[in-house]
Amino acid sequence: MSATPFLVRKVAVLGAGVMGAQIAAHLVNANVEAILFELPAKEGDPNGNVLKAVDNLRKLEPSPLATAARAGLIRPANYDQHLGLLKECDVVIEAISERMDWKSDLYKKVAPHLGEHTIFASNTSGLSINQLASAFPAELRHRFCGVHFFNPPRYMHLVELIACKETEAGILDSLEKFLVTNLGKGVIRAKDTPNFIANRVGVFSMLATIHHAERLGIGFDTVDALTGSLIGRPKSATFRTADVVGLDTFAHVVNTMKDTLPNDPWHKYYAVPAWLKGLIDQGALGQKTKRGVYQKVGRDIQVLDLKEQKYRVSDGKADEGVEEILKNKNVSERFAQLHASNHPQAQFLWAVYRDAFHYCAAHLADIANNARDLDFAIRWGFGWETGPFEIWQSAGWQQVAKWIAEDIAAGKAMTTTPLPAWAADAARVGVHTPQGSFAPTATSYQPRSALPVYRRQPFSDKLLGEERQYGTTIFETDGVRCWHTGDDIAIVSFKSRMHAIGDDVLDGVQQAIEVAEKDYAGLVIWQTEPPFSVGANLKKTPAGGARPASKPSGFGKLLRSFKKEAESLALKAARQIGVADQLMAGKLAEVEHLVEQFQITTQALKYSMIPTVAAVDGLALGGGCEFVMHCDRAVATHESYLGLVEVGVGLLPAGGGCKEFAMRAVADGKGGATSFFIQRYFKAVATPEVSRSAEHARDIGYLRATDKVVMNRFELLEIAKAEVRALAAGGYRPPLRQTAIPAAGRSEIATIRTVLENMLAGGHISEHDHLIGCKVATVMCGGDVEAGSLVDEQWFLDLERQHFMELLATEKTQARIEHMLKTGRPLRN
Amino acid sequence: MSKQVQDAYIVSATRSPVGKAPRGMLKNVRPDDLLAHVLKAAVAQCSGMDLKAIDDVIVGCAMPEAEQGMNVARIGLLLAGFPDTVSGLTINRFCSSGVQAVAMAADRIRLGEADVMIAAGTESMSMVPMGGNKPSFSPAIFEKDENVGIAYGMGITAERVAEKWKVTREEQDMFAAESHRRALRAIESGEFKDEIAPYTVNEKTPDLVSREVKVKSRVASHDEGPRKETSPEGLARLRPAFSVKGSVTAGNSSQMSDGAGAVVLMSEAAMKRFNATPMGRFLGYAVAGVPPDVMGIGPVKAIPKVLQQTGLKQDALDWIELNEAFAAQSLAVIKELGLDTSKINPLGGAIALGHPLGATGAIRVATLMHGLKRTKKKYGMVTMCIGTGMGAAGVFESL
Repeated sequence: MSATPFLVRKVAVLGAGVMGAQIAAHLVNANVEAILFELPAKEGDPNGNVLKAVDNLRKLEPSPLATAARAGLIRPANYDQHLGLLKECDVVIEAISERMDWKSDLYKKVAPHLGEHTIFASNTSGLSINQLASAFPAELRHRFCGVHFFNPPRYMHLVELIACKETEAGILDSLEKFLVTNLGKGVIRAKDTPNFIANRVGVFSMLATIHHAERLGIGFDTVDALTGSLIGRPKSATFRTADVVGLDTFAHVVNTMKDTLPNDPWHKYYAVPAWLKGLIDQGALGQKTKRGVYQKVGRDIQVLDLKEQKYRVSDGKADEGVEEILKNKNVSERFAQLHASNHPQAQFLWAVYRDAFHYCAAHLADIANNARDLDFAIRWGFGWETGPFEIWQSAGWQQVAKWIAEDIAAGKAMTTTPLPAWAADAARVGVHTPQGSFAPTATSYQPRSALPVYRRQPFSDKLLGEERQYGTTIFETDGVRCWHTGDDIAIVSFKSRMHAIGDDVLDGVQQAIEVAEKDYAGLVIWQTEPPFSVGANLKKTPAGGARPASKPSGFGKLLRSFKKEAESLALKAARQIGVADQLMAGKLAEVEHLVEQFQITTQALKYSMIPTVAAVDGLALGGGCEFVMHCDRAVATHESYLGLVEVGVGLLPAGGGCKEFAMRAVADGKGGATSFFIQRYFKAVATPEVSRSAEHARDIGYLRATDKVVMNRFELLEIAKAEVRALAAGGYRPPLRQTAIPAAGRSEIATIRTVLENMLAGGHISEHDHLIGCKVATVMCGGDVEAGSLVDEQWFLDLERQHFMELLATEKTQARIEHMLKTGRPLRN
Repeated sequence: MSKQVQDAYIVSATRSPVGKAPRGMLKNVRPDDLLAHVLKAAVAQCSGMDLKAIDDVIVGCAMPEAEQGMNVARIGLLLAGFPDTVSGLTINRFCSSGVQAVAMAADRIRLGEADVMIAAGTESMSMVPMGGNKPSFSPAIFEKDENVGIAYGMGITAERVAEKWKVTREEQDMFAAESHRRALRAIESGEFKDEIAPYTVNEKTPDLVSREVKVKSRVASHDEGPRKETSPEGLARLRPAFSVKGSVTAGNSSQMSDGAGAVVLMSEAAMKRFNATPMGRFLGYAVAGVPPDVMGIGPVKAIPKVLQQTGLKQDALDWIELNEAFAAQSLAVIKELGLDTSKINPLGGAIALGHPLGATGAIRVATLMHGLKRTKKKYGMVTMCIGTGMGAAGVFESL
């Protein structure tokens, strides 16, 4: 550790292109002062170019900004007027076009203006860091390095950190700490080899996919059906990803490999296929030009058909038999079946895996420090659920290595280069072990980084082969596990699928509160992986217990437009509110009992004698959102998507969500503008609004001013515990129960109803939407009482329950729920 | 029949330019200040007049609260530098407030209880939104089905009128484009010059570089609403603003605006005393109610009523200022009454010129009086529909 602490007060980003502007956006998301530089505009405001780039950030989807207003916090600058500002910047990130001559010129221009301790990092994806360093003044090179963000930088976890020969070790450690804690990124130390780790392997995998698809005559749409979520990769799979990244960008990376890796055994495959070059020449660059491998015509998605040389409707599907193989949970069986199958799709997948494994094994020593770094680079940079070595290891290292060797010998593999000795070693069972991951140059197993920043991550991203024990169990039920990490803070984690809240979870949380009140300083609700919770599950847990929650694919999430995303989130949540069983049995009373239990639990979170903290990551919908709203404090990762989405299935929030909003409106109005806030919160519930970030959730009102936003989700638990500890240390007392809350009352209900009336008359909502809206308004305004009537919390809770039950009893709500359960889509009736 | 003892004459009529709301040239001009401006300008046109002789100032305002609350009439006249002996009254009948003020002022004279009156209107839709800052509706609205119309926004009522009177989207867009065309032509040929009292806008804004408050000053002298680029084809591309399958768009509806207008009225005796020349004579005014959910059709009831009152035939009207709340309702009124479109809004209407709710009546009286004088025509009318289902119509004679 260096003697003087490294403080990042300000960061300059040079270059307001797609990456530069988005990096600046993420800096301000993380409350880091960011100055964004670009060439001065030829006419008008000299900052015109930057301002245009900043304005464009507001339009990008998925949004690079936590909230649209954040864009205004990026400070615009140009190289003519503002180089003096660089002196105050602790870090400067260069993100201009990948041209050695341009970068070199820029370095000459800015170097004299850098501060005494400024770290200068290039966000190059292709150029050699040492070559770039040579363009940098020799006396400053110890503060020069590469910092490679992935697009879109807000969402992609990976940042590759690359030293040049002269980079001082302490500089990299400082930068890593900043990237991990302040920007929330996953840092991999990469070597200065072409395209570093993730792009090198990821792009090769795409080239291998293209090669085998052409060889076996499999259409692009079918390839995407096979190489997406079916095999634990982003939904955008191969070609849709290429369209999103940009076909020209993809070609550029391929050409870099072609030019810089002449001796690579796979060199002949580092070529842009003729059809791809053709598309680029036509200006069909993918999403940004609205045409690439795919194009959208009206409502149809069309795909380029190489045989026909034209676009056709995209309808490629995985063969049922192959799909069956891919669904096999047993990885070694799955690979054995793929390997043995004669189906071209199975052969295709085996070939793609084989060549990727072969490539990774052959290049591991050159490009990465150990196998873990390669796997994480691919997971964090390309959105694979498991890295190539993890897959190989879980499929049975020896068996797969034998098949690869056979295929190499038979000339089926893409090259004849043998597997490296370490991979072919007959004693090998894998590369990841509890002691560490295999490092071929040292032929040893390297443990995880010992940097102090990682002490904040007691449960960092899981890796196959490592042991993972979540503390010591305090008690465990069907619904929850309550545990501790050896200190005085109790943690409760849900065991249900997508962490839905059923009666077993409700019981478990109530029990956790009781236990914590007796023996612990406080309680944290934290899940071992996202989501926080998709909401209430009124359905009984199926026999055999809950299935483990599947991890949603991060990358797929990004590539869909957020609007669709929010919609599908609402769906997922709604699907959990499966009351169909009880309905059919006519057990409405049972449902009402569950709603009551829900309210008792959320009230307990609020009024228990110990501080409660919700540690939120990912979705917190419906009942999950209500849990968050009732804890004394929420600590939420930047990527937290909260929403009270019950109206989507014809219901309303009845776990205290409407009640909290009613009380918050009174508090926000400070005796004055209650009506304004009631209408705002009504809109959040009635629309319903799902936040696009934690900060956005605060804007909507799901999170409070006192709630905390955390950038790195692996630090979430530590920070949540620190928060609960601080609350306890402050002599925690629960809030006093309010017995005189002024209700907005009957005129406010009528006022909100006028809005609904206009929407109904204009055909924007259905009669049933109108009914639901009126009921939400009724609950939030405290019912048919005079404005300012004083009521207590139970008054609102009773209204929530009453109107929830009334909606549930309507045919249209029942139809909505059934439709959602059957089809997963909302019904508009 | 009229029980008047003397005629009421229009001696001067003036108005501010109309700005777009909420982001137009007058967005930072307070409606009380703008009122003071037009009051001063109106009396300046009768130089011989003794301000102390003003019997009362009646000001129309459709959302009389906040910046235009607290009896804006009295505040405005004091800001205008009128003697504190002059009284002021703020009235509200939504969109007809301005012409209602003129009628009430005229009636005080006609009854013989006043000799000098000022009628005006002021509205800042930039500062006080439609519905006011805290709209609140009675729960009783929803107790009877026929009262639900009270809850309807103006756009929904326009849709209902379009449906009921079969006004097509194409007709509405053509009408809107014509409004812009006429307004632009009128501005270019200087036809509003006499009626507009240019306003000097002084805006104080912080300069974060110099750390000083900067005063930006500019003169507003033309209406801001008319758009050169408006065409029926462009309008046809707009989405319905209120109803999913509707025909009413932002382009064929009136614009939200800021503005003020003022009219000086006198008896014959007062005109003699102050050596004033009349622009015209107030002849009559009528209002009538219609179902709230088709409020736009209001003029269909008010126009025949005022014609009967004044004994004039519809054909006798040379110039009709029909407030274009929506193209849909304007066209329905025209169809229903068989009005001569060549006589309606020759200088464009609210779709192009803007509609600062409570000020519009006073503003259009200024347009009418100057227009009749300039074209040497005789009879004119200012008419409009009114929210919650009413119509108003006032008839004037140019002298």
